[in-house]
Amino acid sequence: VAASADIELLRGTLDMLVLKTLSWAPMHGLAVLRWIESATQDRLQIEEGALYPSLHRMEQKGWLTADWGYTDQGRKAKFYRLTAAGRRQLAAEVTKWSRYTETVDLLLTAEPST
Amino acid sequence: MTRHEPESLFRRVFRLPASRARIRVALDEELRFHLEGRTEELEASGLTHAEAVAEAYRRFGDVDAHRRAALAFDDRTLTRGRRMELVDAFLRECRLAVRTLARSPGFTGTSIITLGVGLGAATAIFTMLDAVVLRPLPYANADRLVQLTSPVPKLEGDTLWGLARHEMYYFKQHSTSIEDIGVYQRTEVTVGSNGGDRPAERARAVMTSPSLFSVLGVVPELGRLLLPDDSRSRRPAVVVLGHDYWTQRFGGDGQLVGKTIDVEGASVLVVGVLPPNAQLPDSKTDLWLPAYTYPEQQAFNNHTWSAIARLRPGITAVQAQRELAPLTARLPELYSHAEPPQFVAATGFHTQVRSLRDVVVGEVMTRALWILFGAVLLVLIIAAANLSSLFLIRVDARRRETAVRTALGADRVHAAMQLLSESVLIALAAALLAMILAQLGLRLLLSLTPSNLPRLTEIHLSAAGIAFAFGGALLIALFLGLVPIAGSPELDVNVLRDGGRGVTLSRRRQLVRSALVVSQVALSLVLITAAGLMVRSFQNLRAVRPGFDPSGVLTMHVAIPAERYGKDYARTSAFYEQVATQIRQLPGVRGVGFSEKIPLEDSNLCTGVSVQGSTARNLGCPSTSIVSPGYFEAMGIAVDGQSLSWSGMDQHDGNTVVSRAFAQQHEWPGTSGIGNGIKFEGAPFFRISGIAHDVLADGLDKPPVAIVYFPMLPIPGAQLEQVPTYMNLVVRTNGGDAMRLVPSIGRIVAELEPAAAIANAKLMNDVVARSMARRTFTMLLLGIAAAMAVLLSVVGLYGVVSYVVSQRRGEIAIRMALGAHVAQVRRMVVRQSTGITLVGIAAGLLVALGSMRLLQSLLFGVRATDPELLAGSALLLLAASLAASYLPARRASMVDPGDALRAE
Repeated sequence: VAASADIELLRGTLDMLVLKTLSWAPMHGLAVLRWIESATQDRLQIEEGALYPSLHRMEQKGWLTADWGYTDQGRKAKFYRLTAAGRRQLAAEVTKWSRYTETVDLLLTAEPST
Repeated sequence: MTRHEPESLFRRVFRLPASRARIRVALDEELRFHLEGRTEELEASGLTHAEAVAEAYRRFGDVDAHRRAALAFDDRTLTRGRRMELVDAFLRECRLAVRTLARSPGFTGTSIITLGVGLGAATAIFTMLDAVVLRPLPYANADRLVQLTSPVPKLEGDTLWGLARHEMYYFKQHSTSIEDIGVYQRTEVTVGSNGGDRPAERARAVMTSPSLFSVLGVVPELGRLLLPDDSRSRRPAVVVLGHDYWTQRFGGDGQLVGKTIDVEGASVLVVGVLPPNAQLPDSKTDLWLPAYTYPEQQAFNNHTWSAIARLRPGITAVQAQRELAPLTARLPELYSHAEPPQFVAATGFHTQVRSLRDVVVGEVMTRALWILFGAVLLVLIIAAANLSSLFLIRVDARRRETAVRTALGADRVHAAMQLLSESVLIALAAALLAMILAQLGLRLLLSLTPSNLPRLTEIHLSAAGIAFAFGGALLIALFLGLVPIAGSPELDVNVLRDGGRGVTLSRRRQLVRSALVVSQVALSLVLITAAGLMVRSFQNLRAVRPGFDPSGVLTMHVAIPAERYGKDYARTSAFYEQVATQIRQLPGVRGVGFSEKIPLEDSNLCTGVSVQGSTARNLGCPSTSIVSPGYFEAMGIAVDGQSLSWSGMDQHDGNTVVSRAFAQQHEWPGTSGIGNGIKFEGAPFFRISGIAHDVLADGLDKPPVAIVYFPMLPIPGAQLEQVPTYMNLVVRTNGGDAMRLVPSIGRIVAELEPAAAIANAKLMNDVVARSMARRTFTMLLLGIAAAMAVLLSVVGLYGVVSYVVSQRRGEIAIRMALGAHVAQVRRMVVRQSTGITLVGIAAGLLVALGSMRLLQSLLFGVRATDPELLAGSALLLLAASLAASYLPARRASMVDPGDALRAE
């Protein structure tokens, strides 16, 4: 099923993806995964269970808060919501990430000046 | 899914606050939701249920590992959250409490000062108790150090002899409970000028067996300690200096080790210096000289050595004493010369082992400090009772506020928290104040303390004292915060209905507050009685006639070089006579004499003497003192018969004076004893020429001492052990400042003998005062405690009576409107306060009767249950209560009926 998933996630990147995902709306864990899958067209290979330590860690850091609520199907689920601190953290990570990719790009696209 | 549980359970669970168990349940639910959701999704895409479940788990990875990782974060979240909550709540309460307290500065200030003073006094005394009694002595293995003594109950009652030197070696070799043992004797020596600018001076010395250092665990700061070989010479050849003496006398000269100094006219090699804190337990030592002692030494019946031993680990003093009993019993067999069997039988000689700390601190001091600590604790309790009363008033005043809050949904726990945080804040502030007061108080106490109190230098505000102050403060805070809550079960809305003046409630409160005052009065009575008993003992002691007349008498040590005088009786006598004659010429001097011992200063261990003509079966064992002519006149001791004279002594008349107590021990049929012979063992007989009146030389509260006053010069053929080259000069003056004579006396002595040293000039009045110092000290502190207690009780009583008056304004107004007289109203108020006081006095009398026996060992000439004193204390308190009710009574009688009733 995950046959098309061909990119292994870099360490620490998952947090940023989760924060970005939750920046659109409060979601439960499974919904976060589904969002990432559809947004990346199933190209990311994520060990799904790793999502939960990440969520709980960010909850402890105060970047997320969680509430129990009901899904559209009426099932009880834990919904995560981005806090103001979480938003700041997301912005910082995105900046860091773009600077990183830009730098790597620079190198990859550079040609010998001679 | 098989692990599925009914959802309703979780609904219930999740409304409850977080806990470790609930977090686990919630996480499992979250993970299950994920796996189930995935499974359904996969089934919808066409997999069988089993395939879908397997695929969901595969994608999820290691469920257990992820679960554990998530849980670790949850635990941290939980802990932090709880801590934040607590801190928040605490800060909130504190802010509220500070605001509330700031609004009533009078209440806050009074509370802090009352509690601070009480706590400060208790902390100061606790610090002394801790430093003197509770803390171990400052030695390595202090708990294993013991003192060995030899009681001789059949000979001298409670007097303890020391050990003889051979016993040290014998016990060390044969006892399994003793690890190491050392013996020592205190003495004074003259340290010569060494050719420098400092004059010869007397120094405190100890003649010690080298083993004493290892017993005490002392290591040298410079050089070495004494070695066994140092003890083999009759005259000490080496010396170890105490640290303070080294710095004071020799300027801390590091090069001194290896050089010689002049001790008693002989050159002695300094081999070492001790560190600052290396001291014998009970006094300072300047010079440590090797005692003449070695294992093969001939045994002597010379039980005059102080002995300290270190026991093996786990051995108690009692066990050691039991072990030494059979060893001591073998002494007559092994050392028949030193301890002959008839000697042991006649004296009841045995060996006693006591913990060194008990010996140093002493039973009386331990008891006195515990009693003082008890007294300040009582004062503290009384202060706390006053505060409790104030808190009750506040709670009453806030009843409406509390009721409104309760009606609006505030819970009782919250109300309790508020009260508690107020009391904790007050207690903490009081503890800080107490530290300052304790520090000041300790300084004051130390200036008052008898200088012979053991371990004085170890007293300072310590961690234990600080812990005591804060611990005590918190306990009291709990009490203050909880009593009003316990006393008010009906913190409810009904208060709002009856105009904020619940009758039943105020009556209950009144009862609690009256009970507090009753206990205050009772405790005050106990303290007053205790203080009164001490004052009475002090007066009785002051009234005791010591047998000598201390007023205007000056004494000091005079020492002359033993090498030049020690063998020459005539020369020694001539020197003393010249000194006496010349001092006699000084203005205001009425008498001069010398004595080996000074009453109340020097110990009176006894010596065996032979007496002619006595029919008494018991030979007795008097204390002996070598005295010069003029001593009795100078000290003011009356003598019947013939006293000593310089001319008689020069003619070797052999005249000797004995004390009346000694004469009474002997029965000389038909005579007073004058004219009979008396002698030391082996010496020719002296002749008893006079009987001196008894002197309370061992203490004003002790029986008179049997003394034989031998003359300074022997009769031909007599062998006094030593020519007295070290005597106490006694000078009787017309009064005024006798100390002014000291420089002139110093000049006279120096002119006659430049190598002589004088030291320790003091007034006999001070000697007498010092002998009573422990009692005086206890009396003074108990007096202060009692005064504080009475003051606090009066304040407490005043508070209660005023409050009652204010509560009964309406009733009083009605009475007055109905024609009651001012006097009747006043009487009513006074009756109320007197009633409370009488109950308190009755309770206090019971407590006092039960507890004053604890004081017995400190008392003198008064019974612990002296009815006069008890009655006096009760009357004093009654008078105080009348004073306390005077103002409220006046206020009550000035109630204007019209005003008061309109206010209803």
